[in-house]
Amino acid sequence: MAGGTRVADIIGMRDDQVINKACSFAMKDHKPPAKPYILEKSRGSPDTYFFIFPGSWLVSDWFAQKPFGETKINRPDNPPKFPSLRSIGNDEVATVNDAFLRRFEEKILGASDFKEKVQKAETDKKQIVFTGHSLGGSMAILATLWFLDNCKFDKTSPPLCVTFGSPLTGNRIFSHALRREKWAPYFIHFVMRYDIVPRLLLAPIPSIEKEFESILRFFATKSVNKPEEAPDFYRTVMTNAASVASHAACNLMANPNLLLETVTNFTALSPYKPFGTYFFCTGNGKPVVLRNSDAVLQLLFYSSQLNSEAELHEIARTSLDQHFGYENELKKMQDVVDLKKLETLSYSAEATGSDSATINSALNDLGLSTRARLCLLAAVEFEKRKQRNMDSIDTKKIQKEITELESYRVICKTRLMSCYDAFRLHNSPHDFKANVNRLELASIWDEIIEMLKRYQLPDDFEGQKDWVELGKRFRRLVEPLDVANYYRHSKDEESGPYLGTPGKPRKPRPKRYIYTQRWLEHAQKLPAESSGESHFWAEVEELRTKTSSPDGFEQVKPRVLQLERNIQKWVNGEELGKDKDVLLCQESILVKWWKTLPDQHKKDSAFNNLIY
Amino acid sequence: MNRSDSPLFSSGLELGSFVVTSNVLHHSWAAISELYGEIHEPPSWASPVRFRTFQQPNCTIIAFVTWPPCTKEHLQGQGGGDLVSSSALKETFPLFEFLSTKTNPRFSINKPAIDLFASVRGVLDFLKSQISTKPLIIAGHSVGGSVASLFTLWLLDKINLATTKRPLCITFGSPLVGDDGLQEAILQYSAWNSCFLHVVSDRDPVPRVLISPYNPTAPELASPTNQYKPFGTFLLYSELGCACLEDPESVLELLVATYSEGPGFDYKDIFQQLNGNVICKDSTKDDEWIAQPLPAGIITQLGAIGLGRLQQLQQQSIDMNTLIRQTEIRERKWLIRRREAYNDSKLNEMKVNMAQLEWYKKFSEDKKIGYYDMFKNEYDSRNNTLQRFKKSLTCYWTDMVDEVEKKPQWRGASFTTRWLFSGTIYRRMVEPLNIAEYYRDGKTDYIAKGRSKHYKLLEQWLDEDESRSASRPNNPKKQNLKGGLTEDSCFWAYVEEALISVNALSNGQYSSNDMDKHKRSLIQFEDYVWGMLKNCAVSSEIFLEQSSFMKWWKKYLEIIRKGIMGTSPFTEFMQNRQYSQYAPGCQ
Repeated sequence: MAGGTRVADIIGMRDDQVINKACSFAMKDHKPPAKPYILEKSRGSPDTYFFIFPGSWLVSDWFAQKPFGETKINRPDNPPKFPSLRSIGNDEVATVNDAFLRRFEEKILGASDFKEKVQKAETDKKQIVFTGHSLGGSMAILATLWFLDNCKFDKTSPPLCVTFGSPLTGNRIFSHALRREKWAPYFIHFVMRYDIVPRLLLAPIPSIEKEFESILRFFATKSVNKPEEAPDFYRTVMTNAASVASHAACNLMANPNLLLETVTNFTALSPYKPFGTYFFCTGNGKPVVLRNSDAVLQLLFYSSQLNSEAELHEIARTSLDQHFGYENELKKMQDVVDLKKLETLSYSAEATGSDSATINSALNDLGLSTRARLCLLAAVEFEKRKQRNMDSIDTKKIQKEITELESYRVICKTRLMSCYDAFRLHNSPHDFKANVNRLELASIWDEIIEMLKRYQLPDDFEGQKDWVELGKRFRRLVEPLDVANYYRHSKDEESGPYLGTPGKPRKPRPKRYIYTQRWLEHAQKLPAESSGESHFWAEVEELRTKTSSPDGFEQVKPRVLQLERNIQKWVNGEELGKDKDVLLCQESILVKWWKTLPDQHKKDSAFNNLIY
Repeated sequence: MNRSDSPLFSSGLELGSFVVTSNVLHHSWAAISELYGEIHEPPSWASPVRFRTFQQPNCTIIAFVTWPPCTKEHLQGQGGGDLVSSSALKETFPLFEFLSTKTNPRFSINKPAIDLFASVRGVLDFLKSQISTKPLIIAGHSVGGSVASLFTLWLLDKINLATTKRPLCITFGSPLVGDDGLQEAILQYSAWNSCFLHVVSDRDPVPRVLISPYNPTAPELASPTNQYKPFGTFLLYSELGCACLEDPESVLELLVATYSEGPGFDYKDIFQQLNGNVICKDSTKDDEWIAQPLPAGIITQLGAIGLGRLQQLQQQSIDMNTLIRQTEIRERKWLIRRREAYNDSKLNEMKVNMAQLEWYKKFSEDKKIGYYDMFKNEYDSRNNTLQRFKKSLTCYWTDMVDEVEKKPQWRGASFTTRWLFSGTIYRRMVEPLNIAEYYRDGKTDYIAKGRSKHYKLLEQWLDEDESRSASRPNNPKKQNLKGGLTEDSCFWAYVEEALISVNALSNGQYSSNDMDKHKRSLIQFEDYVWGMLKNCAVSSEIFLEQSSFMKWWKKYLEIIRKGIMGTSPFTEFMQNRQYSQYAPGCQ
């Protein structure tokens, strides 16, 4: 299928009407003092509500502190406003431009009827479109993110976020988290080939601050005379964009030279990264579509490179004009070229067929040199590599080892023991065999965790149902053995409690359990640290040591009570699985310990009924 | 993980572009020209090295130049290309001894460079004291760059790379510093190699002078082992662009191929030129469909460093296609070599193998044999699989020990107690199996003739580590013999030797001289075992009914009964079966 694709096809709409409407609303000159947002209904389609966010031409609305003005998107107050915007296992929270976030929180969330209006629109089953031009685009992005994380919505008619010439807003976690949540397709960004604003935040604030004032003044007044700072401004932004793009490209190409790292220590690189679907407008009405955010970053730089130094003044002026060129461009729009085909075609085939001709001419329209194309290919290849990394995980082996450990649990049960107690004693050949299973699994899972730490697996990995489920099964079955191993070898004397010492960053607890627990808690929207059923034995061991001293019990009484409550909850629930039957038999470490507790406590405790 | 099916990319252009836009070149050249600017005196050879520390807001720069600046003629002149060998340096200037390793014992350094460096020896510690927590750039121009390289090398030995950020040494138009020995010493550690960035213009003759064909003054040096070789990353640039290269073979070839003789030039123009290039498109054709990323990347790179120019190719009579092909082959090899170096996730696999052995040990104990004899007598079909685990463990640890031996400096940081701990457990678990095989084959005197070197070293390092930490309080829980393993991994070899002696004595067909020898060694063995028992250093599995040790004891008891040997506290302990109370390692 060559050509014939429309914007509407890409975003799953009936026609291009919505985009055109959004554009004309967004590009309208919102004279100050602008409202925080405007709600418009389209006459043609009464079921679509447009939430339009005006931009701003004040420097202080663009940058907060230096050099890049970023901040964590969830402020330390509880609960987080954007709980999904992080990586799960690594628990890395997304960063966002502080000035944008503050404007959004203060002017839109805090001081307007936005929340009520948007919730009303959703209950009325309207198609919601958030849109904005320039800085308004960033507001639309934050509004959409807030909506996705805080409002219930019908998955069959999700909200849509359409931005025009929006600056970059968040770091790479945006793309990572949104792809995991499958929200990335809701975000549509239009970028003119030379528009400087989407590239702006790739430069550190101090390097452009001075020129930026007059650039913004020019934007605000739309005067005929271009500011004389334009060429310098363009050069600075592009040089920094080159720095970010080439650094990223080195990683995409799996560059093995550690010099990259050494030099990186001497520079500050912009954290901002694109996400969602990008439409690069080439000026001839045939926009190029990309969803791979690594490729988008490369294009942000390469598509607005100069042909030669002589072009500098002209392109510098164009880079300002094009910030207002979106309505014109959309009027011209015919077909779009979807670069997704690049993944299947790329270099493997000869340049034949109409698809490759279409793509080739689109790449020419964007002015991409061989070098640029290599970067683009590297981005495509990088994504494939993540997929291959995932495919290479030996899930069959995981299943096999887990099955064997499950039969170990059955064997323990026939010996009237929980696997914890059996493994801790470690005196039957079965225990040794189980230890081999445990280590085989550890080896596979540690490799998975290592890849997650380096973001070498597909972004949606931690959100995949199968993996969350497998992680849960693995953790509940095997972590008790790890705890048993830890205390059997008295590792606590060297490294402290299994669950870590408060205030110490290094935890003895293996990351393979920390990560899988976080997956489950995120998938089921449970509070953090709430599903600790796989490691309560560690608490038993710790309390056992503590209560062995004369007044030990009084000191840890709250912890004992908490543990009793948790175990009761888990015994009644499904968390402990088949282990719960043997958990409380008389030979168990848990029971033996509990019996040493003061009589008064035992009499009052509801645990009493469980044990006797 | 199988990555073979993913295509390779050459990222030299991107790395070059990143270096150019990162400002490190700009800062270092600014420091160098400021240093040159400070020099007002007429040139004299009295103190040719000039240096200064510049404290910048976000980095420290130490710059080196020589006055007057070195020229091509200096290097081509008398002694300009002389090399000093590491053995000669050892006598006069022993600062670089740490570069000598077992596998790569010798290296040579350019004599003029080392002489210049020696002239600043007195201030090295002062310069080191100037270094703060800020990242450090060491910069130098021409032969000043050689001094900068040597200073950086000296520094790499002095700082702990695990806790300090790597310094960055940037040279502009610096001649090559050393031979293949020096290259190998630095290349072994990709972290060290990554500290050197050599910037070379296509117009600058100085960095090319010492490459062999250009070195007519010292023909005796042109033997393949005595040539100048590059290390670190080279940023080659021309007016068309720039690229970073790391593969030393390609560096050498392209240094020669890109040289374009022309009127004088100055590195100060580099920034304007290269920064301008960054925001402009490269000169390659636009509409090319890329069939293979690696050759496409290499062609673009070669173009950027000046090899696209026709007159250049003719001037040097270079066949572009051959050059592209050769560079591609080398780059492919280099990429694969570099990537393999990072693959070190084997430790987990080794843990599994150890757990398998533990399981085997337990299984053997349940059969009242002990894993030593179980393995020796090949009672069990499991031996085959066991062989596999043993082999993979032995390969792993032999390699590891080799690595550590090659790189003594590892023993400071990465060579941790924990690593040694794993190695010790391995030795105590696996060496008995080697001993079993050795004596099964009918050989004798394992300790002198059969013991693998890596066991010896592991044991030696443990002793060193323990004597170092002798001040630490002793482990109070001696009852817990680590992993239930006998501390002396050679224990079974002594048992086997004792068995040989006891057999000899009971046969009684040897000369009295020999008999005395056997008696002496049996008494020694008794003492040895008795000492271990008192220290709880031996696993109780030796007392299992069918173990070689018990076999020995039964024979020994016969000899005692015959009156050939006397009694002792040890023999009483054995006769009274007190060992049934002996606990260590019982699980």
